[in-house]
Amino acid sequence: MAIKTLKDLKAIKLPKPSAPLPYFITMHGRTFTFRDLKHVLGAADISKAGDRKAGLAATDEIMREAARAVLSGLTLQHFFDNPLANNQGQIDSVMWVNYDIDHTTFATIAHFTFGELKDDLLKSTGAHIRQIGTALTGVMVAALTKLLDVHELVLLAKKLKTGASAKARTVVGLPGTLSSRLQPNHPTDKLSGMTMLLYTGLSMGSGDAILGLNPAIDNVANISATLHHLDKIRRETGAPTQICVLSHIKTQLACLKDGAPVEIMFQSLAGTERTLTDEFDVTVELLDHAYETMQATSPLAGIAENFMYFETGQGSELTYNKHEGMDMATTEALCYGLARRYSPFMVNNVTGFIGPETHLDNHEMIYSCLQDHFMGKLMGLAMGMAPCYTLHSQVTIEGQQMATELLTAAGANFFMDVYLGTDRMLAYFDTSGHDDQTLRETYNLRPAPEFLAWAISRGIFIEDADGNVQRGANWGNPKIFCTAEGKFQESEFQRLQESVPAIYGFENAGARPSNRVARLMKANQAIGREAIYADLRPAEIGDIALRELHTAANNKSEHLNDPALGAMLADSVLKTLKAEHNDVQIVISDGLSAEAIHHNIPNLLPVLLDGLNSRKLNIGQPILALFGRVKLAESIGDALAAQLIVTLIGERPGGDALASRSMSAYFAYRLNDKATQKAAADFSGNAEIHYEYSVLSNIYSGGLPSIEAGSVIAEKVFEILQYKAAGNRLENLMQHHLIPH
Amino acid sequence: MEAPVDGAAHVSINAVSACVKPNERVHLLGLDFGSTTSRALVASATLSRSSASGRMEFCDTAIEFRSEPVFTPFIGQTIDIVKVTALIHYWLQQSGLGHASALNIGSETSHLNTNSVFSGGSIITGLAAQADNAAALSKVIHLIVGDSVIATADDPCLESWLAFMGSCSALSRYHIDKPILNLDIGGGTTNAALGINGDVLETGCYFIGARHFQFAVGSYQLLALSDYGAAILKDLQIKANIGDTLNTTECEKIISFYIKALEAIVLGNTEFFSSALAQAHTQVAFQSHDYPKSIITFSGGVGELLYQHAAGGALASTNFFGDFGIDLARAIAHSPILSANLNTEQPENKGRATVYGLTLHNTEISGHTIFLPKPNCLPLRDLPIIAKLSLQSPNDQWHCAFTLAAKRELGACIQIIGVDALNHDKLLDETRALAQKIKAYWLANQMTNTQPLLILIEANIGKTLGNYVTDWGQCMQNMIVIDEVPLRNAHFVNIGRLHQQMVPVSFFGMH
Repeated sequence: MAIKTLKDLKAIKLPKPSAPLPYFITMHGRTFTFRDLKHVLGAADISKAGDRKAGLAATDEIMREAARAVLSGLTLQHFFDNPLANNQGQIDSVMWVNYDIDHTTFATIAHFTFGELKDDLLKSTGAHIRQIGTALTGVMVAALTKLLDVHELVLLAKKLKTGASAKARTVVGLPGTLSSRLQPNHPTDKLSGMTMLLYTGLSMGSGDAILGLNPAIDNVANISATLHHLDKIRRETGAPTQICVLSHIKTQLACLKDGAPVEIMFQSLAGTERTLTDEFDVTVELLDHAYETMQATSPLAGIAENFMYFETGQGSELTYNKHEGMDMATTEALCYGLARRYSPFMVNNVTGFIGPETHLDNHEMIYSCLQDHFMGKLMGLAMGMAPCYTLHSQVTIEGQQMATELLTAAGANFFMDVYLGTDRMLAYFDTSGHDDQTLRETYNLRPAPEFLAWAISRGIFIEDADGNVQRGANWGNPKIFCTAEGKFQESEFQRLQESVPAIYGFENAGARPSNRVARLMKANQAIGREAIYADLRPAEIGDIALRELHTAANNKSEHLNDPALGAMLADSVLKTLKAEHNDVQIVISDGLSAEAIHHNIPNLLPVLLDGLNSRKLNIGQPILALFGRVKLAESIGDALAAQLIVTLIGERPGGDALASRSMSAYFAYRLNDKATQKAAADFSGNAEIHYEYSVLSNIYSGGLPSIEAGSVIAEKVFEILQYKAAGNRLENLMQHHLIPH
Repeated sequence: MEAPVDGAAHVSINAVSACVKPNERVHLLGLDFGSTTSRALVASATLSRSSASGRMEFCDTAIEFRSEPVFTPFIGQTIDIVKVTALIHYWLQQSGLGHASALNIGSETSHLNTNSVFSGGSIITGLAAQADNAAALSKVIHLIVGDSVIATADDPCLESWLAFMGSCSALSRYHIDKPILNLDIGGGTTNAALGINGDVLETGCYFIGARHFQFAVGSYQLLALSDYGAAILKDLQIKANIGDTLNTTECEKIISFYIKALEAIVLGNTEFFSSALAQAHTQVAFQSHDYPKSIITFSGGVGELLYQHAAGGALASTNFFGDFGIDLARAIAHSPILSANLNTEQPENKGRATVYGLTLHNTEISGHTIFLPKPNCLPLRDLPIIAKLSLQSPNDQWHCAFTLAAKRELGACIQIIGVDALNHDKLLDETRALAQKIKAYWLANQMTNTQPLLILIEANIGKTLGNYVTDWGQCMQNMIVIDEVPLRNAHFVNIGRLHQQMVPVSFFGMH
């Protein structure tokens, strides 16, 4: 078996970072100056929301083409010699790993300009392109990609389909196949809910890539329980596939040590070290350790050749403002350079997951997906794609479906199967088992061979006399897994059904859901979308007098596309505020769902105020702030010198109409005395901490109803003020009854 | 992939609502002592909100231990408490809930790992529930198992309800619009229950069972006869005494009476039960005239034999069990009325339906925002439900209820009805008005600080209602408000200990 041994980091040949060089070009009488290579790369891409926000996107088409012309004339050697350093002028660990390339091959192409490289690849076969990919860093791959149009991104990626497979229990990514990751996410990690979604997906021929769950709660006990459950379902159904629970890598290592079946290890990756370590709590050393541990102790050791599963997607570094001045596609390519080190079984790209601050619309999302798929494949990765969207972006289901058609043409290894495309836990929208089957039928593709044989044996597929794979009688019928002694068990099926929220039905029309089911799903989604775009109507939130303050976001568009604006009051407002030193300041904001405010505040606010008044607390006049975000609490708290800010805010809607009216209460405790700040700093390890947060979520009629929420919030306020703490520190103090003096 | 949570991911966020630990399993225990057999069941489950009902329910249930049925030990008509004690210890040890050291028969100390038992019940029926037997059994169960298990004796409608829930609960929700009539036929009684979409609408109980006539195994030589069996012999003019052997015709006559009675229950034929013999066999009359086209299912020992027979399995040889169980099963299978759904609809658990119902369905789980300022007052046992009140109830009813509650030193329960949780426009006003009314009557009747007053309400407003009544917890008296529990027609309620901010609630004395 071809299992890769990790190269010692010190053995990777690195250039020395040098001072950034400016680049000049004159085009059609206009002279363009790009401050450095990062700006050339940023301007050479199509304009995307994240790059615009970072000031990297070209301002017009001519500037973009000027940047592409600059790129076309630069050699690979130039890129090798001029690494994109971080803000401290150093090569970070992610960039470092990216320099682990095939130097023999590189020597043969180092003199190529990127224009020449592009032409060479377009004239080449897959084997040659693949070989070239081994000699490229992520930055080089990103540079090349910016010169490719849609046809070229599809064509080159398609040539890389052969050789893009990986092996665990099944082989995923073979030519002629389209696989899927079956994602049975449940909002509370209910095992029977997962079972229902797994049965449904498996009956559609989904899950040959992996049965992979995103957990709601990331701790060892819960992750172990869910791993064991997925393993049980895999064994009981006999489906030849592998399992994974997408928790943090440290949790999975602990589960593995405890004997849980960690068959494939997951981790989100980032293209800069600061994002990887500060935000994802992962280092290259930890990834090395995980990879080597999996090789030695995974239940698939001796069976699999590939053990790791990574997820990426353009924009996460930028969202954390830790992109080191690089554009989204470049940091994404750097993720692939990091992933390459571990020969992963799967890399899944979820561009579109974050929202409009990175990808505003269908055009941006589709093009990024095509870029990412090509870049990953060129770097030798077993790339699958999850073109997805949230309701607060302008990406739509139609755009997502166009992306999947193009990506299937380009030879993506796998897509996701999220039941009817609506994820009940993560409140986003992805591909479905219906989509996967539709694409298999359209492009004459099959699942992985081992899985196909099993699915034929279960009547899910049939192979006709001409060797064509068709849907079998059991396709799309989850009841086939609810049997005992050959008889359908109505009771078991009923119990499973009842454990999944927003289950719209199982009727199909060929490879598609029936029109009734589709209409129900789309109607629910429409209500969720409407909740985001609805304006807050102050007259509908009760008769308690509120003071209206404006955030720095002037309108809905600014609010949705730039979260930072909603996190602060407008300067003009700040100037008018004075310290009030109240115990509690209530802030109401639409956040991402004005409808959540309309539906909950009229009953919640009176109860909350009654509760607070019963303790004779000093309460500031409640504030109504349009276009707000959670961190607005700090802007208001600092301005008014309030001790505790309770922010009642609409949450990002998902695909269930009822849950689209869900809001949360965030408790921001201001650490305004030295002793408390020190205690919080000691507890958190963050010396600069100045607010501690608790949160009460899921406030809506299907979760915690507003009347009860008013009481729960009031009681939490009492606790926070009594213990002078919020968040985990509060829970810790309460557990030990440590009331401060 | 990870994305920032609305700009707040890097600060210390703690989810207040994370009181329910996903996939943390609790244990449930059921003990069933009947006239003929006794059995135990230990299950584990998670506590989770149902997507169908919206309430907290047991979910992902797994059976951890299922005892074989054993003959209930009697010495004559008296329960053999020494053997019962050993039996319970044995079951607990086998299930992993008890420790081996507890196997000393007659031990007065509990060795049960009670912390892991969220709820449990024991039901004592038939002969086991007669005279002093029930009290002795309850005492020994309490000594061994502790206060997380509630013992209930001779509650026929509860038995019917449990048997339906244990066998047909999910099946009934699957056939959402179709009524299901379940007949749980055991040694002494037939417990009838009719339900739609998982809810039991009607219950009844008849002294129709397999062991009113006990025979020498393999023959029809009478060894024992219940009063009901004797009444049948007399009415059918069969002259037989203990030691005599019934002939085939006599057996058929007796079985025919039972089958006609069962058919009358199914058809709602009240005329049949107007005869003296049939009346004598009626413990609680079942009235189900509104649903003549119900799906008929069976559970209990006879039900188990019946489905075994219907599935083509060979029944044991004549009178293998020394009673009429096999004969009844055969006769039911031959009745077109009773066997209409025998091969199409399969209930669960069949012979163990009651103990399954007891273990998995008898306990309701409260909402997780209840009002419970003094959690140490739990568990509360045998609280009488003294009234059902609504905002519209006359003041004298409110007055009577609270006067009665004040006299109950060990506590009392009042059910609040008529609050429409879906009426958002009026709910806050109703909650405040209700709180004012409760507060007024509560304070008017001086209750001690330790005297619990339990308010049960279906709407999810428990914490807020309690806060308004007690001026946000500043009143020292012991008011408890438990919400999100479906109200049942029962005389008593038990409240178990707090677990993950929720409490188990079980009812008995059903009517």
